[in-house]
Amino acid sequence: MEFQTESIGDDVAVIRGEGRLNMVSGPTLREAAKRAIDGGRPRLVLDLAPIPFMDSSGLGAIISCLKSAREAGGDLRIVSPSSQVAMVLKLSNVDKILPAYDSAEAAYRD
Amino acid sequence: MTEERRDLVFSSPPDDVDAVHAFLETVWAANPGIAEFERMAFETALIELASNVIQHAAGDTGVTCVLTVSADESGLSASLTDTADAGGIVLMNREMPDELAESGRGIALIQALVDELRYERLDERNVWTISRATPPPE
Repeated sequence: MEFQTESIGDDVAVIRGEGRLNMVSGPTLREAAKRAIDGGRPRLVLDLAPIPFMDSSGLGAIISCLKSAREAGGDLRIVSPSSQVAMVLKLSNVDKILPAYDSAEAAYRD
Repeated sequence: MTEERRDLVFSSPPDDVDAVHAFLETVWAANPGIAEFERMAFETALIELASNVIQHAAGDTGVTCVLTVSADESGLSASLTDTADAGGIVLMNREMPDELAESGRGIALIQALVDELRYERLDERNVWTISRATPPPE
């Protein structure tokens, strides 16, 4: 699974990849987030729409990216989770710290 | 719905959880009457279980698993038998870790998604069983 990164404004990076987010693809997501942060874009948006399935390893990778972004003075926000991904976020209580936004543009409107 | 039982044998390496996803697609195709949420919840629990088994055996010589999934009117169940050493995974009553934890959610997720999670050591094999009952009609 590969992740593409798209820039919005001065410091926002939208990360998007199609496939399952799990122990195989999690490290690739971490690398994509690190590249964006190191490149001066610590405000990350992770577009979850093309991810039909996520397991706890995949969720761990998202949390790792969130922490890296915050350490760099940014944040991570999520967009459009599928029903399975939303279920895992809710059961893990992560939906409380990572509310889902409707679009990448809406994620940093505040 | 008639009873449907299917088996998959896989070895890691080289197989990974994609083999389990592909296998479940054949189970869902053969059982179109299972509600989407039931499929999703069961698949999530089974993938967590298979990931745990594969991950804990990764440092050794690998692991061979036999997976059986059954579907009938009462619900979905799976039995996963693996060749890893005993005691690799501690099961009982895992609490969901805090929101910023990067690991430790797998077993807690399984417990949240199934009605039964059981482990037995039989003939030098680990035998994991999960089952999820069909919810009563609303």
